[in-house]
Amino acid sequence: MGVISKSRKKSPWVIHYDCTSCNGCDIETLACLTPMYDVERFGIINVGNPKHADVLVVTGSVNKRNVRVLKNIYNQMPEPKAVVAVGACACTGGIFKECYNVLGGVENVLPVDVFVPGCCPRPEAIIDGIVLAMDKLDEKAKKMKEEKKKANQSVKV
Amino acid sequence: MGNNLVQNIIIAVIWIVAAPILGGILSGIDRKITARMQNRFGPPIMQPFYDFFKLLGKERITVNQTQMVYVMGHLFFAIASLVMLVLKQDLLMLMFILAFSTVSLIMGAMSVRSPYSKIGAQREIIQMMAYEPVLILMVVGVYLTTKSFMISSVFSESTGPLLYNLPLVFFAFLYVLTIKLRKSPFDFSTSHHGHQELIKGLTTEFSGPQLALIELTHWYDLIILLGLITLFFAKPIWVGIIIALVSYFLELVIDNISARVTWRWMIKATWLIGIGAAMINIVWLYLKMKV
Amino acid sequence: MNEYLLLTVAILLPAFSALLCYALRNKAVRSFIVVLTSLAMFGVAGGFVNLLLASGGTLKIGVDAHIIGWVIKVLDLLLMGYILYIGFTLRKYLVVVLTFLQLIPLILFEGGLLFGTPHESEIAFVIDYLSLIMILLVSIIGPIITIFATGYMEEHEHHLGLKKSKQPRFFMILFIFLAAMNALVMTDNISWMYFFWEVTTLCSFLLISHDGNSESVKNALRALWINLSGGVAFISAIIAIYSVYGSLSITEIIEKTKTGGFVGIIPLAIGLLCFAGFTKSAQFPFQSWLLGAMVAPTPVSALLHSSTMVKAGVYLVVRFAPAYANTMLANIVAVVGAFTFLAGSAIAISQSNGKRVLAYSTIANLGLIICCAGIGSKVAIGAAILLMIFHAVSKGLLFLCVGTIEQEIGSRDIEDMQGLAKRMPFTTFVIVVGMISMLLPPFGVLITKWLAIEASVNSPLVLLCIVLGSAFTVVFWSKWIGIILTMSYKNSYKAEKLDFSVRSALSLLLVGALAASVLIMPLYNIFIAPHINSLNLADKAAGLAGSNGGVWLQGVGNITTGGFAAIPVFLLLFALMLLIPYFMRKTKAERIKPPYLCGENVDNDVRGLQFISPADKVDVVVVRNYYLTGMFGEGNLTLWCNALAGAIILVMFGVVI
Repeated sequence: MGVISKSRKKSPWVIHYDCTSCNGCDIETLACLTPMYDVERFGIINVGNPKHADVLVVTGSVNKRNVRVLKNIYNQMPEPKAVVAVGACACTGGIFKECYNVLGGVENVLPVDVFVPGCCPRPEAIIDGIVLAMDKLDEKAKKMKEEKKKANQSVKV
Repeated sequence: MGNNLVQNIIIAVIWIVAAPILGGILSGIDRKITARMQNRFGPPIMQPFYDFFKLLGKERITVNQTQMVYVMGHLFFAIASLVMLVLKQDLLMLMFILAFSTVSLIMGAMSVRSPYSKIGAQREIIQMMAYEPVLILMVVGVYLTTKSFMISSVFSESTGPLLYNLPLVFFAFLYVLTIKLRKSPFDFSTSHHGHQELIKGLTTEFSGPQLALIELTHWYDLIILLGLITLFFAKPIWVGIIIALVSYFLELVIDNISARVTWRWMIKATWLIGIGAAMINIVWLYLKMKV
Repeated sequence: MNEYLLLTVAILLPAFSALLCYALRNKAVRSFIVVLTSLAMFGVAGGFVNLLLASGGTLKIGVDAHIIGWVIKVLDLLLMGYILYIGFTLRKYLVVVLTFLQLIPLILFEGGLLFGTPHESEIAFVIDYLSLIMILLVSIIGPIITIFATGYMEEHEHHLGLKKSKQPRFFMILFIFLAAMNALVMTDNISWMYFFWEVTTLCSFLLISHDGNSESVKNALRALWINLSGGVAFISAIIAIYSVYGSLSITEIIEKTKTGGFVGIIPLAIGLLCFAGFTKSAQFPFQSWLLGAMVAPTPVSALLHSSTMVKAGVYLVVRFAPAYANTMLANIVAVVGAFTFLAGSAIAISQSNGKRVLAYSTIANLGLIICCAGIGSKVAIGAAILLMIFHAVSKGLLFLCVGTIEQEIGSRDIEDMQGLAKRMPFTTFVIVVGMISMLLPPFGVLITKWLAIEASVNSPLVLLCIVLGSAFTVVFWSKWIGIILTMSYKNSYKAEKLDFSVRSALSLLLVGALAASVLIMPLYNIFIAPHINSLNLADKAAGLAGSNGGVWLQGVGNITTGGFAAIPVFLLLFALMLLIPYFMRKTKAERIKPPYLCGENVDNDVRGLQFISPADKVDVVVVRNYYLTGMFGEGNLTLWCNALAGAIILVMFGVVI
């Protein structure tokens, strides 16, 4: 598993979902792709398809209307997968937290692995968050494997 | 004869192993050069391999039971045509088998009730309709020069470099190479940059190991196509290889400087320019032969 | 003696069964007769194979030509009379005119007013390998379709809600059709051939108009007059040939044209024969009758398209191919065929009606056969004969499948066949194999395309048509296969219920299609290669083997002679393709996920049939094929293609005059 584990850390494909963001975080997220920051250095690719993605980058707070879509996209991603909440709104709900239609931060709906705070966060911070998520991703995969092994053993016993 | 068979099997096995390695490195270089052209630093050369192994390690998900069958067909028939190429077999049959490989992928994309993958498949069919005649005309051009469909005849003593007799066919082949490699301006069946109207077209519904195998097939395809370019200057072979690499670089330049066209435009242009150029070449060879 | 028995059985048994079917109106009895006759016809086919292999290539059967000649003359007159009757009662005066145009020369000629009583050779039946292959097609595929029809017609009449069954008449005509086809391919007497030719024309009229509604009658009349015009050409050709050679024996005619007899009026006569072949095998611009014939019940379409009728046309063209090989006429015949291949394949792209796609594909493939006959080198003739075999088997299979599907889902539109794999797994499997056999390696049709391209490299125009045409065929077949194989996840599959006759007919043809492809090498080496060699063609290009395809056919197993495409390799690849995913699933099942719909999937809908559109409305996901009607639409292309094809045929006549 050495090769796969190593590769996992070097090739996170990202799908970016904009919940209720004011677009500030989105602009910063997309700025990561520009020659200035060039995330492809780390093998990060912005794919448009959850079925190809490893990391779900969410901007903005979750509300009652888009929670269904967000969950659907998360469910369509194959394991192992990680979620990165980018920006204050995605982390906690931000200034929209008390709105009648807002459910709060992403963690109320999905298991978030990395929080990137800021309003809006700098591209460096976002890249840092995704790189952190890569390590989490590998840990998750290993944990999943161990759990499976345990499950198998218990079945045998 | 038995000896020959063993030798052939060894050659085939070596190439089956070597082709994806070469192809992977070439696509790594492709991504690096593309990044440099866009004033970016770019991923490591080995990035395609990282992607490949990561995808292999992903969970296997599927929409129906048959998807993997088509992916296998896509891969195996690409390997089969690579083996035909390195064993210097019939060029026409090679083209048919290569077409089968693509048809298999199209079937896989169509087997799913997904709008994106269906439209991608339809576009891929249209692409095939555009480039397939040119590929076959190229084979005919080779026949008219060497009097045989066998690739081995290209390497025989009596034939000079094909490029001298088939300059326009070579041009047409380069033209369809862009379509075959799904590069801009003809990348509309997979739209290889994210967040476009087709999501990921043909490959939308393939994921994890399936996608890894499709990527692997793509490397095989790359090597087969570059190998076919090499045929145009088979002796000495290193000139052919240089020409193939230069052509590949040219494809990268075209990829980076052009925007995507519509399929109508592609069909018309490919038939007019591609088939036109190849036919002109074939007609003049035919007339020369008659005299 | 044996050959007389076989000959009698091959021709008279179907005719006799036809009468029985008409006389005995009981369903069970009819089914029994059909099965028995079919088995007998299989036996006859086998008997002929044995006999011909033992005799070493040609079987000459002498009969009392005088008596049979008179019988045929009388039947000829009756036939013409019946067609006249049809023309008058349905007020289609074009039919009447065309019949008179045949009747008058026929009476003048047969009555001895032109050249005295025509001399008819004692050796009236000559069976060589080409005839044998046709006999095999007619006597194996024909009966299988008839068996299919026993189950199908029951259901068909049930749908129509007929009070009085028209099946006795239907089966009578089917059997007469088969008898006429068998006789047509065996006879060596060209005027007898003409008679059987006209019988098939009449039979096709009766079968197309079987349902009796105004559309089917209209289309049947179109088929009748187009084929009658071919008949006019045929009788004119016979008279012209007789006036020069004084012989009606086909063998003799071909021999004489080959040895310097291709002068004077003979080229025109042979051109007329080719013209007759074009009309019968629905080449552009005569394709409309075959498309119209789609209104008939499915067994009729299957029969017309696969083993009978249209194959009579190409049989004639291929039979006379040595006579006009290497002439200007041959070049133009090749262009006519190649153009039809191109135009048929192009228009097929725009069709969404399954039967029409099949019809256009038939027209295209017949074009390719005629094109190969026109090219006239040894490889090309070999390709033509191979294609006749493979096309007959696969097309018969496909038509029967479409008929079965139509009865189940009530539509013949390709778009309606989406998800068929879940409803009819068995039929889906059969039809997909049938379509793959028309398209992909290692099946025979692709091999013949391979040979055809190899054979046509020396004529750029023909080559361009074939190359473009084969790209188009890939388009419409893969679209159709893709639609049929579209499916969402389903746990287990159970074969659908089908009538026993339908299921057995489909299975038999499926086995036939697979066997023909697997056994392509012996098929070629035992039946086709000796035939081509016996033609003594002065070959333009390479010899019998050609450059590659032929070499490959002669030694498939040999991995170094272009024969990598060896069938075992393909079988291995196919097996791996299926088995690896199967075992992967066995060891660890994949997780099923719905298709990606931008996150708007409806909850708990694993199949992805619905999505949530704006305002929380639930909408159905609609996915359709492209038909590119703007580019390949029937309305855009037909007129121009017909005009162009007509022009090519005029050029052909201009050249031969």
